[in-house]
Amino acid sequence: MIYQEVEAIKKIEEVYQTLLSLEKRNKDGVTAREISKVLNTDRANISRYLNKLAREDRLDKINSRPVLYSSNNSFKQNEKGRAINSVSSFKDIVGANSSLSKAIEQAKAAILYPPKGLHTLLLGETGVGKSLFAELMHRFAIESAMLKKDAPFIQFNCADYADNPQLVMSQIFGVKKGSYTGANRDRDGLLKKADGGIIFLDEVHRLLPQGQEMLFTYIDKGYFRRLGGTDKKITVNVQIIAATTEDPQSFMLSTFMRRIPMTIKLPSLKERGIQERYCLLDSFLREESKRVGKRIYINRNSLISFLLYDCPHNIGQLNSDIQLACARAFLTYKTENKEYLMISQNELPQHVRKGLMKIHDQRNEVDRLLKDKGEVLYYSAEDGEYELKESKDENKLFYDLIEEKYNSLNKVELDDTKINEILNIDIESYFQKHLDNLPQTFKKEQIRKVVNTEIADLVDQILELATERLQRSFDEKIYLGLALHLQMAVERIINGDKIHHPELNNIRVNCPKEFMFAMEAAQFVDQTFAIETPLDEIGYLSMFLVKDPYKNKKSKMKKVAVLVIMHGRATASSMVEVANKLIGVEHAVGLDMPLEIEPEQMLERTLIEVEKIDKDRDLMLLVDMGSLTNFGEMISEKMDRKVKTIDMVSTPLVIDVSRKAVLGQNINEIYHSCSNFNKARERLPKNTTQKNAIITSCFTGEGASEKLKEVIKNEIKLPGNYEIITLNIINKDHFMTALKQYQDYYNICAVVSTIEIELAEIPFISAVDIFSGNGLTKLRQLVKESDLYAKIKGSLNEHIKGLDSEELVENIRSLINNIEKALKTSIPSEVKVGIVLHMSFLIEKLVKGEETTKFPDLQEFKREFPQQMEQMKASVKELENNYEITIQDNELAYLAKMFLNNAMEE
Amino acid sequence: MKTVMLVCSAGMSTSLLVNKIRVNVINKGLDLKIIAASEAEARSLNYEVDVLLLGPQVRYLAEKLRDLLGEQGTKVSIIDSISYGTLDGEAVLNQALALIEEDS
Repeated sequence: MIYQEVEAIKKIEEVYQTLLSLEKRNKDGVTAREISKVLNTDRANISRYLNKLAREDRLDKINSRPVLYSSNNSFKQNEKGRAINSVSSFKDIVGANSSLSKAIEQAKAAILYPPKGLHTLLLGETGVGKSLFAELMHRFAIESAMLKKDAPFIQFNCADYADNPQLVMSQIFGVKKGSYTGANRDRDGLLKKADGGIIFLDEVHRLLPQGQEMLFTYIDKGYFRRLGGTDKKITVNVQIIAATTEDPQSFMLSTFMRRIPMTIKLPSLKERGIQERYCLLDSFLREESKRVGKRIYINRNSLISFLLYDCPHNIGQLNSDIQLACARAFLTYKTENKEYLMISQNELPQHVRKGLMKIHDQRNEVDRLLKDKGEVLYYSAEDGEYELKESKDENKLFYDLIEEKYNSLNKVELDDTKINEILNIDIESYFQKHLDNLPQTFKKEQIRKVVNTEIADLVDQILELATERLQRSFDEKIYLGLALHLQMAVERIINGDKIHHPELNNIRVNCPKEFMFAMEAAQFVDQTFAIETPLDEIGYLSMFLVKDPYKNKKSKMKKVAVLVIMHGRATASSMVEVANKLIGVEHAVGLDMPLEIEPEQMLERTLIEVEKIDKDRDLMLLVDMGSLTNFGEMISEKMDRKVKTIDMVSTPLVIDVSRKAVLGQNINEIYHSCSNFNKARERLPKNTTQKNAIITSCFTGEGASEKLKEVIKNEIKLPGNYEIITLNIINKDHFMTALKQYQDYYNICAVVSTIEIELAEIPFISAVDIFSGNGLTKLRQLVKESDLYAKIKGSLNEHIKGLDSEELVENIRSLINNIEKALKTSIPSEVKVGIVLHMSFLIEKLVKGEETTKFPDLQEFKREFPQQMEQMKASVKELENNYEITIQDNELAYLAKMFLNNAMEE
Repeated sequence: MKTVMLVCSAGMSTSLLVNKIRVNVINKGLDLKIIAASEAEARSLNYEVDVLLLGPQVRYLAEKLRDLLGEQGTKVSIIDSISYGTLDGEAVLNQALALIEEDS
């Protein structure tokens, strides 16, 4: 322990010394990456040491991107050092002569206003380019000789240091020694450092009222005092450019607008019109082209999509969507050995694709804009004299990364689509933050019916802040879940009931950001209700804010295990080797079965291997043939574990299954998606239950789930053999285990939850739907159906010989669900009853080898509904395998007709 | 003697139900003829049927058959799904009898 501390101190010294030596060359400051390269240490560790040094006041942290560090004594102003050679900085910005012309006039006036310019407030939505605009103002000030050539431009985002607003103030105004713990000497703030130049305060509405007041004092009187210092007035000459996304009508802004003389509003992307959007696209595509070092081609429709799609986060989002499309195009170009790097609809993010659908409204404008352009357009850095912004190393690196990974995958012979898929996982995760769905309008009135106004307002406040702070959007499901949860939690806290969170430490470790924010959110709760939120409750709050509460946990061990068993000395092990190598995770396990080994012996070996796998993990068994196909059943009998078997396995299948397992898909998803590879046998579990249950669940199993239970109880007349069971989902694996246990005793007719869970076998209804009423209708139908099916099972038992009627009805029921999904239709439950009966007797006949009925005009029907016939054929595969029958076109046509003619209107 | 016809898809499920209804007809000593038919047969009827009962899965036929057979006084109705699902011959018979009674 002590040894480690000494080591850490040594390391910190080393980092400090490295920084000092690097600083000689990089006067602006040094990044963590540069130091990590020199010391050959992980960048995250270096950052930690640097932050420690900054906390100890030995370094200054400059909030640029990437963050720069510099030693205190040699600190140079954070001047952006960009080439300033054009006549007017504003000239080249897109929209300079149209949508931005007014803003630019104002900005020039603000800079040129005698004697030393006007403080300015920049208004505009997220991503409209406020920071860039402020930088351009600084450049213009230098060009027009209002500021000296080396006048500083200090940029600071007031939303940084989210967990410590006090720190924000000390950053801006500086600290007097001893004003708080850790302030062991006087330190200048950024305002002082900006003397003679411009300070850009982004998200200024995040400044504490006290800080705002200090800012106003400076604006009015030209001086300020350091934090904790009452004595010395510091007089500086700094022009303030403040920026905010706040609504100009808001109370806070009205104060700002009164005190800050110049207000400039930057238009949103939507307000800027298609013509300008085209210019922006043009410049972004050229930038990308420069990064890739290739021409980028784009087809007309894709360009139209980009011109028209909803892009609420403005230019910032437009740019990142372009980058994503280019990255995908680059991937296609590499994997498919294309001659060109081409963006087509396939490369567009889903929400961008939708843009094309708006063409009807704006066809004339689009046609005018693109009239002299061909079907395919291209962009390259060499054409046009567009001046590139600083090249983003991170992106360039990203292209290299794709290429590198592709090359390594390519060495192992694998077909391109597979490689593509594997690489796509990376790309998606890289861009995930941009692909997030954008905030939806909550159905607040509905939610306010269930929770009181104070809670609803609080949740509004928390989520709004969280959206900004965590850079993530929260949909109405989270809104509702959080509201219900908070209502219950506050009640408990007021009553003095204990709140316990079993996974608290797990969350603190794995989701620190969310946890930190939840601490802050808890303060709002405390203030509103005059209570003190315990740490355990903060753990629950964090879970609502985590993107996917289950993915962030170290659930690696809970992933579906993959065991490959093959005949032959090394078949299984070499297949597994290839798969694991390609996926980059040692996930699948191979077991070879040399021909001289007896099946019994092999089973024993297998059981020993399975023993090694955690008890609560499901197992995917991949085998080739013969006795091995029965192993799954024997394992699940002996070891009480969910096992699914796929036979006739090939290497691509092993890769596919392993990949999905690594991604954390559940066994049913994997089985259903992979068994299409070849026909696979599944032994269906026997369900001999009489009682029915509806599961309601939420994180705690107490808040929202109790409320849901109450609503369902009041709204639906449940038959006597129904129960509503509440269950918590703190841990998804535990939830699934509990669910499985319940399934032994109950027929679970639906899961209703505030948290989205995809279950292959059980219908899911979201809490939002329940409160909006649709869910209740659906639930009523499910209850009715469950009931009917139970009755059918009973009566069929007498009439169908040689087949287990329970199993038969369940099989047909899942067939019906699958077809409904495949045809994207739904049929009334009465019709389902008819179909169950029809199929039961059909299967009985086929098993007995009896003749079935001809479908009149079969050929004509097939011609008319070729697609539907194919879907039927695919859907009945499982039944065919289970009962070893072949279902002919005649029968498929009857089946299709029943679905097509009974489809309910939406 | 009145005739009741049951129609389902491909005649797969009604034949059993027909037998169960017939048992009830005999037990109750009624003078009623119960027959099963496929959709195609129902469309090209060349004799009079008093009540035509449809399996729930072919309920989409109801309107067409009503248009086709309504003139000759045939009552077309859909079998209650619970009675159908549970192959409850007595209940289906009662449904048919109620329709016949409506007439008289």
